[in-house]
Amino acid sequence: MLETMKILQKNRFLLFCLSATTTFVGCSKLYDLPEDRDFISENINYLDKVIEPVLGRNNLFTSLQADNSTLPMQFEIVNARYGDGQPVTDLFTPVETYQWIAEYDGKETSLEEIQAKRQRVTRPAFEVDSNGRFILWAEATAEQIAPRPADTVLRTQDIRFFDLKVSNSGGERLIKDFQVIPWLERPYYPDTDINPYTGGPAPDPQRPRDTTRQDYIIPNYITNVVGQNTELPLVNNSEKKDIIVYIRPFTGGNGHNLRFRFMGSDGEYLNPALFNETKWDELVHGFNRKNEEDYVQYDVAYPIPLTNIRTDYSDGGGTAQIEFAYARMGFGGVVTLASFGLNFNIFKPGDWEIVFHFQNENPKFEDE
Amino acid sequence: MRLKQLIIYIAVGIFSVASAWAQNQEITGRVVDEANNGIPGVTILNAATNRAITATREGGNFSISVPANTQLLFNAVGFSKRTVTVKANQSTLTIQLSATQDQVEEVVVRGYVARKKETQTGASITLGEKDIRDLPTANLESLLQGKVPGMNIQVNTGAPGFRGSTQIRGISNLTTTGSGSESVLMPTSPLYVIDGVPMDADRAAEFGLQQQGPGISPLSLIPPEDVQSIEILKDAQATSLYGSQGAYGVIIITTKRGNSEVPRINYTHSTFIKAPPKLRETLGGNLERQIKLQQILNNARTQAELDRIMDTPGLADSLNSYYNNSTNWQSLYYQTTFNQNHNLSLDGGNQVLSYKSNLGYYGETGVIRNTGFNRYSANLRMDYRPSRRFEFTGQVFAQLGKQNKGDGTGILQTGVATGGMNSTLLPPPGFYSASSSYISAIQTKNDNSSKLIRPYVEGKFEIIDGLRFQSALSYEFASNNEDRFTPAAAAGQFSEVYSFAGRESNLYNRNILNYSKTINEDHDIFINLFNEVRHATRQNTITKQVRTPNDQFEGPIGSDGYFSRGGGVLNNFRNEKALSFALAASYNYKSRYVVDLSYRIDGSSANGFENLYTKNPSVGVRWNMHHENWIESIPWLNLASLRFTWGINVMPTSTLERVYGKYDISGRYNQVNGIGINYAFIPNPNLKPTTSMQYNAGLDLNFFNGRADLVYDTYYKKVDNLLFESFLSNMNGFDKLHSNDAALANYGHEFALNVRPLSPSNPVMWTMTFIGAYNKDVLLKLPSVYSGQFINWDNNSDKLHMVNRVGTSSLSNYLLQNIGVYATDADVPVDPVTGLRYRTADGTFFQAGDPIFVDRNGDYILNEEDYTRTGNTQPLWTGGLQTSVQYKNFQLSIAASYTFKRTIMNYALAQRLRMYGDPFGNSSVVPLSDLDIWLQEGDVARYPFPYDFSRYGSVQPFRYDQTLWEEDGSYFKINSLILAYVFDRDFLRRFNLQRLRVYASTENVYTFSNYSGPNPENVTNLGRDQSNGYPVPRTYTLGFNISF
Repeated sequence: MLETMKILQKNRFLLFCLSATTTFVGCSKLYDLPEDRDFISENINYLDKVIEPVLGRNNLFTSLQADNSTLPMQFEIVNARYGDGQPVTDLFTPVETYQWIAEYDGKETSLEEIQAKRQRVTRPAFEVDSNGRFILWAEATAEQIAPRPADTVLRTQDIRFFDLKVSNSGGERLIKDFQVIPWLERPYYPDTDINPYTGGPAPDPQRPRDTTRQDYIIPNYITNVVGQNTELPLVNNSEKKDIIVYIRPFTGGNGHNLRFRFMGSDGEYLNPALFNETKWDELVHGFNRKNEEDYVQYDVAYPIPLTNIRTDYSDGGGTAQIEFAYARMGFGGVVTLASFGLNFNIFKPGDWEIVFHFQNENPKFEDE
Repeated sequence: MRLKQLIIYIAVGIFSVASAWAQNQEITGRVVDEANNGIPGVTILNAATNRAITATREGGNFSISVPANTQLLFNAVGFSKRTVTVKANQSTLTIQLSATQDQVEEVVVRGYVARKKETQTGASITLGEKDIRDLPTANLESLLQGKVPGMNIQVNTGAPGFRGSTQIRGISNLTTTGSGSESVLMPTSPLYVIDGVPMDADRAAEFGLQQQGPGISPLSLIPPEDVQSIEILKDAQATSLYGSQGAYGVIIITTKRGNSEVPRINYTHSTFIKAPPKLRETLGGNLERQIKLQQILNNARTQAELDRIMDTPGLADSLNSYYNNSTNWQSLYYQTTFNQNHNLSLDGGNQVLSYKSNLGYYGETGVIRNTGFNRYSANLRMDYRPSRRFEFTGQVFAQLGKQNKGDGTGILQTGVATGGMNSTLLPPPGFYSASSSYISAIQTKNDNSSKLIRPYVEGKFEIIDGLRFQSALSYEFASNNEDRFTPAAAAGQFSEVYSFAGRESNLYNRNILNYSKTINEDHDIFINLFNEVRHATRQNTITKQVRTPNDQFEGPIGSDGYFSRGGGVLNNFRNEKALSFALAASYNYKSRYVVDLSYRIDGSSANGFENLYTKNPSVGVRWNMHHENWIESIPWLNLASLRFTWGINVMPTSTLERVYGKYDISGRYNQVNGIGINYAFIPNPNLKPTTSMQYNAGLDLNFFNGRADLVYDTYYKKVDNLLFESFLSNMNGFDKLHSNDAALANYGHEFALNVRPLSPSNPVMWTMTFIGAYNKDVLLKLPSVYSGQFINWDNNSDKLHMVNRVGTSSLSNYLLQNIGVYATDADVPVDPVTGLRYRTADGTFFQAGDPIFVDRNGDYILNEEDYTRTGNTQPLWTGGLQTSVQYKNFQLSIAASYTFKRTIMNYALAQRLRMYGDPFGNSSVVPLSDLDIWLQEGDVARYPFPYDFSRYGSVQPFRYDQTLWEEDGSYFKINSLILAYVFDRDFLRRFNLQRLRVYASTENVYTFSNYSGPNPENVTNLGRDQSNGYPVPRTYTLGFNISF
């Protein structure tokens, strides 16, 4: 009896100790401490909330100011509507586009090798990626997404608005009233000959009201090119344009051809072989070069250039670089190297030709 | 524990009513411990009446007069109780008491009044002189490491005369100072109360590691040999009586006092060797040149880089004798030193008059040349008790610390660190040439001194029985000076002088009135009322003059406005007047149920004038279950008590500047000197003091007749109204506001387990102590404008940002996350939209061998958006392990301490790897063969390719602000190993010696750690291991302790 009493007392004590300890140890739950959650700033915003993409090319907008919110976060476009409240759906039409899966480095030796570095995927034409970047894919065209009105008057019912829901485990923020105001496609660059509102010819800056005249693309530089008749250097300025450039599609190609042509002042095409110092193999990142009487043609991958990386064919600033050159004996028996060049982009896949038109007179190829 | 003896003496004097019985028999005897040493101060009680009869004298002798068959109870602090029945006609009695760690019967000091520990509700722990002996040190705190649960001591500098960091129960502030890897958390050291006088241990800490002035820790001035006991108060109930100064915990140090009828001379001597730790390995001579050339030849990207070899004579001109050397620079700066420590004490006296004097000398030459510390101390004390009602104490501390910091700032030795990394190709210092960093480190004359004198007088008077009055007055004066003379060769061809002069004073007065009463032997009441008056001043001035005449003329130097480089009064000026009142009441019923209440108000001139007085209340209850009948019947349980306390400590954070603003002389206008407002901070008269509120629950258990005892505490400490510098919007005239809107919490568990595994009859005495503490801190609140996160951007080029985020550990790093090394170029991610590879902000694409930094914001560009919160700079687990074995006259004790779960930044390794960043430079080359480094395409490695110097500036593979350097700083350190031998008394008597003890010890024996850097403890309190710190040496000691 005494023994059981003792055991009972012992157990009572042990029980007491046990309960006391568990109360102590379990206390951290009682402290009502704030949770370890991500931080999401009150001031999270975008520097630029008016998104003005150009259709027909990849547009990337990265102006998120996360204000040191814990990344990554979730982004979701909500409440897409026109200024008058009508819902917007065309922005999110699925399009089939390219995404890079490996780095294009400009050293690929075939079109297949280039194609293997990117893949065809179906994405909404306009989307926000997991990092808060807005992307308008190149395959979104004016047929799917109406650009800003051609009459240049922007009415609020023409503007697409949306809100962005940003969240992480710290909470959720709604960034309101983004605007999307797309530009019409301009399939190439320089696009000085395109009216960005209508897609028609750009007016001549000298006489903007004269509809018979238009603005042209001009080469980036002309060096030592002398006119056949005047024997004066060919120049481009606001008064006079000796060499203008047409970037235009042609028919009859295989769908991914690029041609270079040189048009004389008489409208006849010059033989590209006249530009005898041109490095034809390093002109563009193209394959299967064909030197014909009136053009040089390559098989290329579009867009040109494929990425902004510096390669043998581009300057790293986002454009492809081409230069055409020829040598002739100048005065005093000195070889004169004449050249002209263009930095350009072509965004839209297809058969394109770049034509250098010697408008006023042909260059002089003969020696002095 | 002589304080306790003293109190027992008093108790004996007061309570022992001459119990003269008939047929008394005279008994003389001796009380001894297991080693047959007499134990003085053992209280001898009549077990039947529980009345004290007498106490043993020095040597353990006693004589009493009691009737036969009286049950005598022998009771002494630190020993088990023993009851003996006096036989008829017995005249001699020898009692052996066995040592115990039973803490319950101890007497402790609370609110400057001695109390019985059993009736205290607060959490505290006491260490005795045995815990800190045999290790000569300049820093008393380092001896406490790992011995107190919840007190996190990191010996994070080996600089002689400096102290490491001490925190009780986690961090209490968020303020950092300094930038880059020198950034440190402002220390929140506990309050030290030395013989009843509070002392601020954080003096001169305002400037972080860029110390101004001597920076000699006030704790370095206390010789450990003079310390009788150290008690550490942890919870708010225990500390609240110390008011605002006790918010970070209280450490009570009691020095020894006179206690011997026969004058006694005690001399302690030790000779010790300080040895530098293992230094960085370097590759010397031609090997260095070959490695640098190979690196350039294999990794140059341009012809210009190859051509630079021709412009680098150290590489190209191998036959030039200037560059044809193999100099071990580190050996020129580091040394092994021999040092001595002497301590002589003389004490004596009786119940009426006792005296003590302690003279100490401690000399330490630093392991870095041209550094060192010497301490001279004298501590005199006299106690006079003319009657049992009156007691008078006079005490004088005089201490002088002399220090040499070389050309460093003490904790930092940047000159030595950079000098030690010099190219080995350069010639060693000689008659004709010497590097300026060498001359600076070795020939800079640095003379620091801290002089401190503190007289203390105290009177105690018992007005009526139970009602006592005490009054104490102390005045401390400290003078700190530094003089530095830098010779011309070390400072750009012109010598320089720097001088620091500082003085501090502290006038302190305390008056206590207390009353104790026992009613019906069951109800104990104790009331303590006291006030404190404090006047603390500090003024430090510096002056710096460059281009002084020559190396022979060190001064005096007249002023020259052109060559003066500033100075004046430093902004840690202080003139504080403080007044406090405290009331404490305690009640217990049969020592079984205890209630403690206390309330203290502190007024300080440094408080914001809207909050002049801070209020510190506390409540504590204790249940001594072992006095309950139902527990007394459990044979194996000797003691069980539960404690629960709550209390608040309020700590003023304001300064005169913060409250009243700051005015600058702003130039002349209309022939009048204008005084304008300094717009850096807006004055905040509403600045509230930091409030530290703490709950504590504790459990004390003692089993198996004291062979095991356990003290467990758990606590929750909320630090509210933390000082936080909020940035104001720029339309405001002022830049920043000192606000109070931050808060953090610490919670944790602490245990101390004492085990004596062998039975008391075993000749081997073995004790083991396990100490553990878990502390987690959580940030509760930030000023609302930050909505939960504040980033402390580091303006230093190292970009060592910190982040405070609510809900997480308060001080975390804000770094780029490194998750490895790109094995191949194809591993570098490509933006699916643009097709571009991941790149740096300047457009350099990452490639194989580069570090993988996580691109947090997903823009495929590495920039400051990619930082993330990581790590916890404060340790989660700290504690220690002590064991001692005593067999006959031999004693062996081992002390260890540990720190687990802490993030430290291995910048030592970063610097080592960064030496490859510029092969044309003047730094040496270190071996990397022990590291997992990417070397060729396909290597899966931890560390990036170090040899690509050409892209080094763009990619910055070894940038400091990345998680690559984050490592677990857990360590287990064997602090000390002591072997002592106590000579036999009978043997000694032949030489007229009372006691002789010889010992050999080593300190900082070995650190077990997975950390890849040099020493996981030698890091700043923010966990940064910067290699320009002062290494912690290992100490080997031989010493003896002799008493006449």
